[in-house]
Amino acid sequence: MFPAWNPSQPEITDLIVQYDSGTLRRLPVRKQQVLEVFSRFRNRRAFRAVQHLPEKAGILDDREIDALLLTVHWEMQRLAEEFYLGDRVWALLRHVVAAVRKAGIRENLRILDVGCGIGHTIRWIAANIPLADHNIELIGMDLNATLIAEASRLASAERLPCQFLHGDALSDKHSKHILLSTGVIHHFRGNALLEFLRQHEQPATLSFLHFDFQPWRLAPFGSMFFHYLRMRTAIARHDGVLSAARAHDARTLTEAARASAPGFACGIYGARIWRTPAPRVFHTLLGVRHELVPELLRELGSRAARLEELR
Amino acid sequence: MTLLALYLLALLDGLLCGLRASMGRCPLIRKRGYYARALFRGIAGSEVASILALGALFVVGVLSGHRDVLRADLESSAGRMLQVFLPYAALVLINLALRLLPSTDIRSATSVFMLGPLTAIRPLVMIAGVLYGISRSSLIETWLLGLFILVLMLSLEFVLNRLASRAQVRQIRQRI
Repeated sequence: MFPAWNPSQPEITDLIVQYDSGTLRRLPVRKQQVLEVFSRFRNRRAFRAVQHLPEKAGILDDREIDALLLTVHWEMQRLAEEFYLGDRVWALLRHVVAAVRKAGIRENLRILDVGCGIGHTIRWIAANIPLADHNIELIGMDLNATLIAEASRLASAERLPCQFLHGDALSDKHSKHILLSTGVIHHFRGNALLEFLRQHEQPATLSFLHFDFQPWRLAPFGSMFFHYLRMRTAIARHDGVLSAARAHDARTLTEAARASAPGFACGIYGARIWRTPAPRVFHTLLGVRHELVPELLRELGSRAARLEELR
Repeated sequence: MTLLALYLLALLDGLLCGLRASMGRCPLIRKRGYYARALFRGIAGSEVASILALGALFVVGVLSGHRDVLRADLESSAGRMLQVFLPYAALVLINLALRLLPSTDIRSATSVFMLGPLTAIRPLVMIAGVLYGISRSSLIETWLLGLFILVLMLSLEFVLNRLASRAQVRQIRQRI
């Protein structure tokens, strides 16, 4: 295994932006500390990428880092577009919404995207789906104020009916009926994964859908090739491949969800292409309140075959 | 006819170069206008390259002391180039057509398994096509023209990328 693929290490973007967990205020990041992390993992690729980041007196330059993060997120949106992530999310989300309606819940449903970045998924749904027909409200949240400002700017530029908030999506200050995320859940590991899922157990929350890379033997190779061709920044190339190496397998996700959020029936959706053994690039950790399971299975119809053991 | 086919292939290549250079640089959801402008820039770039190639062809033709021999040699070289470029272009077009199918899996697969690798080998195909085309020629003019066209083809995506990158950096600076 290459050192850059060691799943025990964090991604570069996990380290170059830090926040105070209480106030969410941006904290200064010492470049040397980030370099030491990758030096420990003998990850020369990450080391070189961080070495090139601009600094002022040893502290990473916030402005430059923000510019870099925007560049990376613009590139990542391209990846989401090539994988039709908006279509994929809605293809499952619409069945969840329909199941909730069939179960007799008529109120406006708040759908919250956790760690939305520049909000591609939420904006895609807002641009392509008549929200009034489904009586849904779309919100994206992220800890990064720059990304949220960009998401808001983009939404207003296209007059999209969705909003973006800077803050902790899982805090009980923000009620939500359906939680979703794309490419986020692998950032939570060990106890942090359990804690992340435990926070889903809020009275109003009816379902969660976490889309992420599906790990398999060839995934890092495929990811490396794809990122080399499609991504332009060293950080996007590095973190994209590491994400594929760090992705949680189905068992880790379902066991963590069942242990931390017992109020939900949990399973993996869409792991295989059609009914072949070929894995999809993304799979989805799906959780729904137990009482919604029969309606969801009815709503999914033949697509219920894509769902592995919802319990 | 051979020259026309090469010109059309250059246009198609320019179009796709323009598209690729623009991808990942606009985070809007609805961006038909953005991509239309990118395609236009690609076509404009390939037109400039074609005019330069035509200019070079004209100059070489005027200066050559054996114009008829040169013409026949260039035509046969261009014909050989097409033997490499046409199958490549056909593969690209077939995969673009497959993206019209209403399946996210098929559309993603064309991107990962075909269009990505085809993009990766584009410079090699360009080099192979031109070298195969001129390899049987004994005329120095044909070799020079072939290599000049190769440089133009390889420069096109690089230049378009540079221009798109500068525009992106300016836009991002305005946001921060």
